[in-house]
Amino acid sequence: MKLRHSLISVVCTATLLLMKSAAAHHSTAMFQWGTEKTLIGTIEKYQWTQPHTFIWIVVPDKPGKTQEWGLEGMSPSWLGRRGWNLHSLNPGDKVSVVYYPLKDGRQGGFYVRVMAPDGKTLEALPTQAP
Amino acid sequence: MRRTSSSIANLTWVCAVALIACGAQSSSRKGLSWIASSAAAADAAPSNPYASLAKLPDWNGVWDVTRVPPQPGAPPPAPPKLTPRYEEQWVKYQALNRKQKGLNFVSEVASCIPPGVPQSMTEPYPIEFLFTPGRVTILIETYALTRRIYTDGSPLPKNPDPSYQGTSVGHWEGETLVVETSGILPETSPLNGINGHSDKLHITERIHLINPDTLEISTTRTDSAVFLEPYTTKAYYKRHRDWKIMEYVCEQNNHDALDAKGNAAFSLKHNPGE
Repeated sequence: MKLRHSLISVVCTATLLLMKSAAAHHSTAMFQWGTEKTLIGTIEKYQWTQPHTFIWIVVPDKPGKTQEWGLEGMSPSWLGRRGWNLHSLNPGDKVSVVYYPLKDGRQGGFYVRVMAPDGKTLEALPTQAP
Repeated sequence: MRRTSSSIANLTWVCAVALIACGAQSSSRKGLSWIASSAAAADAAPSNPYASLAKLPDWNGVWDVTRVPPQPGAPPPAPPKLTPRYEEQWVKYQALNRKQKGLNFVSEVASCIPPGVPQSMTEPYPIEFLFTPGRVTILIETYALTRRIYTDGSPLPKNPDPSYQGTSVGHWEGETLVVETSGILPETSPLNGINGHSDKLHITERIHLINPDTLEISTTRTDSAVFLEPYTTKAYYKRHRDWKIMEYVCEQNNHDALDAKGNAAFSLKHNPGE
C-alpha cells in the first residue's frame, strides 16, 4: 500500500513536471481554471497582441444596460499557428464565448473557445489540459 | 615599305620576348622561389570557415516543445532532491498542484522579466538554431531571447557577469551538441516550482535528434545550494519546417503583472502598462 502510494506520487510528480505552460508566461492562479462559463454578446475589440490576445466583449445586463468583459487568451504565437488570425473576431460580431472566470468575481477571465457568427467553433486552448 | 616596317615590328617582338626570357633565366632562382612562396601562401590561407558547417546535423526549421515524451511508457523523471530551503518551496508548489488545476508556479516572468537558462528553453513557443563558424545561436520566440553558444574551443569564463541566459560554450560529440552554461542570474528559476538559486548554478545540456523530426534536450542542473545531487530532466521538440519565429514583445499588452506582494494578478485596464 505504501509502495503503491509512493508510486502514485512519483507518477503525479513526474506528470506535473512534464506539464508545461499552455497559458504561456504566467500562472493561472487568478482563474477558476477548468470551470467553463459562457458569455453571449458583441465583440467590442479583439487585440491580436503579445503576450496574450484579448477579447473585449459587451454583454446584456439589466434592461437598457450592458456590461463589458475582458477575456485573456493564448498568444498570437499559439493561435496563429492553429487557424486563428487578427480578423478571426471583429467589432460587432455576435459571439458565444466559453471562458474560465476570475476567482475574484470581476468581469474577466481566460477564453477557451468561441462560437463565431458563421457557426464555426474556434478552439483556443490545447485539448490536453494544461 | 609596309612589309619592311612589319618585319621590323616582328623582329622587335622577337627581341623583346628573348630579352624577357633571358632576364627570367638570369634571375630564375629568385623568380621560382617567388612562385613557390605564393603557392605555399595559398595553401596556408584559411579555407572558407563555413565549409566546416557541412558536417553538422540538419536542425533547420523551428522547434516546438512538446509536453510529453515521444515514447509512450518512457520512465518518468524522479522528483528533485532538494536542500531544506528549496524543498519548502517545492512542497508548497506540489500542494497547490493537488489543490487546483492549471499552472500554479508564480514567478516574475508574469511581469515580463524574462526567464533564465534553463527555463527559457521550455517556454511554450518555439525555438530555432543557427549554425555559424565557431558558434551556435539559439533564438527563443518567447521573450525574444538569444543564446550565444561559442563552439570555437573557448573555455567557459571563470566568473562571467551574471545574466538571464548566462554564458555558454559548447562542443560537438558526434551529432550531439553539449552546452555548458554558468553565470546565470540567481533570481531566476532553475525548475518549475523553484524560484532562485546560487551564483554557482551550472547547466549542462545535451542536444540531439532522436528521430528525423524530434530533438531531445537533456538538461542537468548542478547547484549545491539547491540540489542535493545534479538533477536532470528531458524535453522534446517537434520540428516544423514551415513555421517562422514571430515577434514577441511582452510589454505590448500584458495584463498579468504580479501585484506588489508578488502574487498572481490580472488587470482589466484597456492599457495595462499605463
